[in-house]
Amino acid sequence: MALLVSIFVFLLFSSFSMAEKLTFPNQLIDDFDTFVATYDAKRCAECHEDVYEEWKESYHSRSMISSIKGIANFFTVGVPKEWEKELNKQEIIKCLDCHLPQIKFATERLAQEIATYMIKAKLGKGKEKEEARAKLKKLNLSCYGCHNIKIAGTAPGITGHIDPNVIYTSGEGESDAHETEHTPVLKRAFFCVQCHGVYIAPDGESTYCNTLSGSYVHNYIGQGGRKTCQDCHMYAKGRGHRMPGGHDLEIVKEGIDFQAEIRAFRYGVGKWVPAVNVEAFLTNKAGHRVPDG
Amino acid sequence: MVLEVTAKDPETGKVLYHDTRKYFEIGLDLDGFMRYGAWQIKEIVDLTLQPLKTQHERFFFTFDQKDLEKAEIAVNVYYYISGKKGDLIYQEKKVVEFPEMP
Repeated sequence: MALLVSIFVFLLFSSFSMAEKLTFPNQLIDDFDTFVATYDAKRCAECHEDVYEEWKESYHSRSMISSIKGIANFFTVGVPKEWEKELNKQEIIKCLDCHLPQIKFATERLAQEIATYMIKAKLGKGKEKEEARAKLKKLNLSCYGCHNIKIAGTAPGITGHIDPNVIYTSGEGESDAHETEHTPVLKRAFFCVQCHGVYIAPDGESTYCNTLSGSYVHNYIGQGGRKTCQDCHMYAKGRGHRMPGGHDLEIVKEGIDFQAEIRAFRYGVGKWVPAVNVEAFLTNKAGHRVPDG
Repeated sequence: MVLEVTAKDPETGKVLYHDTRKYFEIGLDLDGFMRYGAWQIKEIVDLTLQPLKTQHERFFFTFDQKDLEKAEIAVNVYYYISGKKGDLIYQEKKVVEFPEMP
């Protein structure tokens, strides 16, 4: 019996140690399905199912499908008509560096294929439109986007070279499933700001979809505010990777206080016409201007 | 975000007064042009609610109907996640009576 138990324990540990570590390619991918499978958040769900379930409810998990109109407008109007430029990866990345950070690892051809899905999802008809939308549903800001690719976007002088096979985390734990590096920057507002702010492309062009950072830095911190994005959108009420924002009325209401005083009287000596005075007070308790983002 | 004040005749439901204040960001630029595309916006006139600040709005209005005795006043706050979909997030509603004068 003791022998059997020993064999079982040996097999258990030997199979565990032989289990393949989570790895990512450090080269460009040209095939759509390979690209999707490589960066699929489900790869992380095996160990982090609770986080995966939270993330699935977030807009990060819908970062492409929920932004078809704006991105397709840029691809069909902004780049070719207003800027009179060719729609290539350099232009595509001006949206997708945030909406799909792994675009960094797509070939020029694949980047254009994905851009075509975006355009067809807006302008296509019938089956063509549905097929394009189905493709876009597979693309999103997945775990790897924040826990690897965007790490270097905040302060590369501090973070240095990013290893594609390291998962960067805010916690200090280790994992047998992947290389891990503790990265406190994930807890800082300026990590979020790289996308939720004015985006400056490598060629100097700016895009202005989410502009929370300006009001956060200058109007909130500057007036004594001390909370980070993560404090309200992740840590409060166990929101975690659901990261609710403007689409969630609960957090919208948390950010705004409202009071109104309504009084009626008669106005104008001798005329005494019915009159009403309403005094309304809206207080923005959020760490940024409202509405925004 | 829209702050809306409406006065109705409580008997007939007829709207007697309506006014709004709108708080928005994108996209009036400094030259007065509307800029909606993210690539078009380089600076904006900031018409939003500012953090840690209270925005005070006053609505003072009179009615032509001198014999009006009551009015239903509703103060609504709508949050628009897009230009089309507005959700009511706060409401203060009151039926007021106008005092009789000599």
